[in-house]
Amino acid sequence: MKDFMMIFIGADYQELGLSPEELQNRMGKWFAWGQKMETQGILKGGEALTPNIKRVIGQDRAVSDGPFADSKEIIGGYYTVSAESAEAVVEIAQDYPDYDLGGTVEIREIMVFDN
Amino acid sequence: MEQKIVDHLFRHHYGKMVAILTQYFGLAHIETIEDAVQDTFIKATLKWRKQIPEYPEAWLTKVAKNRTIDLLRSIKAEKNRNEENLESGFSEEINELFLDHEIEDSQLRMIFVACHPKLKPNEQIAFALKTISGFSTKEIAAALLSKEDTITKRLHRARQSIVKNNLQFEFPAPNEVYERLLSVMHVIYLTFNEGFHSTNSKQLIREDLCGEALRLCKLLLKKEKFRSGSMYALFALLCYHASRLQTKTNTSNEIVAIREQDRSKWFLPLIQMGHSAMNTAMDYDEVSIYHYEAAIAAEHVKATTFENTDWKTILVLYQKLQQLQPSHLHLLNIATVKLQLNKFESVSKILESLAEVDLGQRAYLYYGCYAEYFERRGDTILAIIYLNKAIAKTSNSLEKNYLKKKMEKLQGSNESFKS
Repeated sequence: MKDFMMIFIGADYQELGLSPEELQNRMGKWFAWGQKMETQGILKGGEALTPNIKRVIGQDRAVSDGPFADSKEIIGGYYTVSAESAEAVVEIAQDYPDYDLGGTVEIREIMVFDN
Repeated sequence: MEQKIVDHLFRHHYGKMVAILTQYFGLAHIETIEDAVQDTFIKATLKWRKQIPEYPEAWLTKVAKNRTIDLLRSIKAEKNRNEENLESGFSEEINELFLDHEIEDSQLRMIFVACHPKLKPNEQIAFALKTISGFSTKEIAAALLSKEDTITKRLHRARQSIVKNNLQFEFPAPNEVYERLLSVMHVIYLTFNEGFHSTNSKQLIREDLCGEALRLCKLLLKKEKFRSGSMYALFALLCYHASRLQTKTNTSNEIVAIREQDRSKWFLPLIQMGHSAMNTAMDYDEVSIYHYEAAIAAEHVKATTFENTDWKTILVLYQKLQQLQPSHLHLLNIATVKLQLNKFESVSKILESLAEVDLGQRAYLYYGCYAEYFERRGDTILAIIYLNKAIAKTSNSLEKNYLKKKMEKLQGSNESFKS
C-alpha cells in the first residue's frame, strides 16, 4: 500500500455564495464520502483550509496577502488515503462532491524515503 | 457513528439567526449580520464533513450566540466603547432572544421589514427570500425568473434603502398593516411556487420551501391583527397544493402529471385544512387572486379522477382571475383548460397571441401547451416539433426527462420517425 494525497482545488463555497440549503446538501455528501473511506479503512487524515492566503515570495521574502487572481486555483483542503495505486485513488475520487462547482481533485503520491 | 441531520436545518436556522441578531443589533447592521451567519454555516459545513455534532441544532444555536457576542464586541469596539461594558447580564439578555416566541416575533418583524414600502416590490421579494428563507441569489433568480446579476443588485439596493431610510426593526403602524400584508402574501406565494414548480435541477419538489411558505402563513395567522380573507385564502391555496406534493414525483424521482397522479395518496389532512381555511376566508368581505387560485386548486382536489375534473368551473375561475389580475401565465392556463374542453379554435387564438418571451423561464409550458394542442388535433409531427422546443427551454432535468418521455411516446406512435 502507498499513501496518496487528494488535494481539492477550487469550488470555494464562500466565493460561490451557496445557500444554507446547498451547503447542508454538500456537507452531507462530504460526510458520506468520508464515512465510506473510513469504513474501508483507507482514510488517514485531512484538513480543510481557510481561503486566507499569505505568500512569501522571492529573495527579498516579499509578503503578499490574498485574494490572489484566480479563486479556481485555491486549495480548499486535502485528504490523505492509502491505496494500491494512483488509479485506485482516481476511483476513490469519483465521490468528490464538488466537480459540478468547477472543483478539481489533484492526486499526488507521498514520497517514501528508504533508510 | 451514523449521524443524521434534520432536513433543511441550515435553511431554517439561517432565517432564525438573522432575525434574532437583527432584533439585537438593529437593521443598520443587516449586512454584517448576514455575512456572519453565512460564515457560520460555511464553518459548520467544513467542520461537519468529518464529524457531525451530537446535537447539530444546539451547536448552531450556541455558535449563533457566540457570534452575537463577537459582533457586539466588534460593533462596540468600532464605537470606541470600553469592553468592560460587556457585563454578565447581557448573556442572559441574549438567552432571552433565543426563546421560541421571541424567535417567532423577530421573524415576523423581518417579514414586515422586507415588505416596507421604501423597498421596491422586486427588491422586497428578493430581500425576503434571502433574509427570511435563506435562498441564494441563484435560487432567487430562478424563483423570480430573472438573472442572478439583477438579484445581486436588488439585494444591494434593498440593504441600502434600509440603511439610508433608517428603517427600524418594528411592526408597521395599524393604518399601514393592510397594504404591507399584500406584499407579505405575495412573497409567501412566490416562496411556495419556487418549491412547488422548482426550476432548480434534480430536485423538483423543494418541500422545504413549500413548508416554509406554509409556516410563514401560519405564523401570521396566529396573530389576530394579521388575519384577513386573502390570508386565509392564500393558506387554503398552499394547503391544497401541498396535499399533492408527494404524488408529483414517483419513486424513481420522475414527474407524474396531475392526470396520472394517484389521487388516493393526496394528503387528506392538508385538504381538510384547506377547506377549513377557505370557509374562514369566506367570512370576510373580500376577494383576491388567492380566492380564485384556491378555488381552482380546490376543484382539482375535489375531482375523483382527471376526467371528472369540472373544467367548466375552472375555466370561469381562471377568467375571473385574469380579469382581476391579467397575466400571460393565466392566459396560458386558460388555453390549457380550454384544451381539455376541446375548444381548439379558441386555444389556437390564445397561443398565437402569446410569445415565448412573455412567459420568461416558463416558456417550456407555452411550447408544451402547443404540443398538446397539435397532439390532440392529431398532428404528431408538429406536436413533436413543439415538444422539442419545450425541451430546449427547460433547465430542470426532471421536467426535461418528462418531456422527453412524452416525445418518445409520440415518436413511437408516428411511423415517419422510425427508421
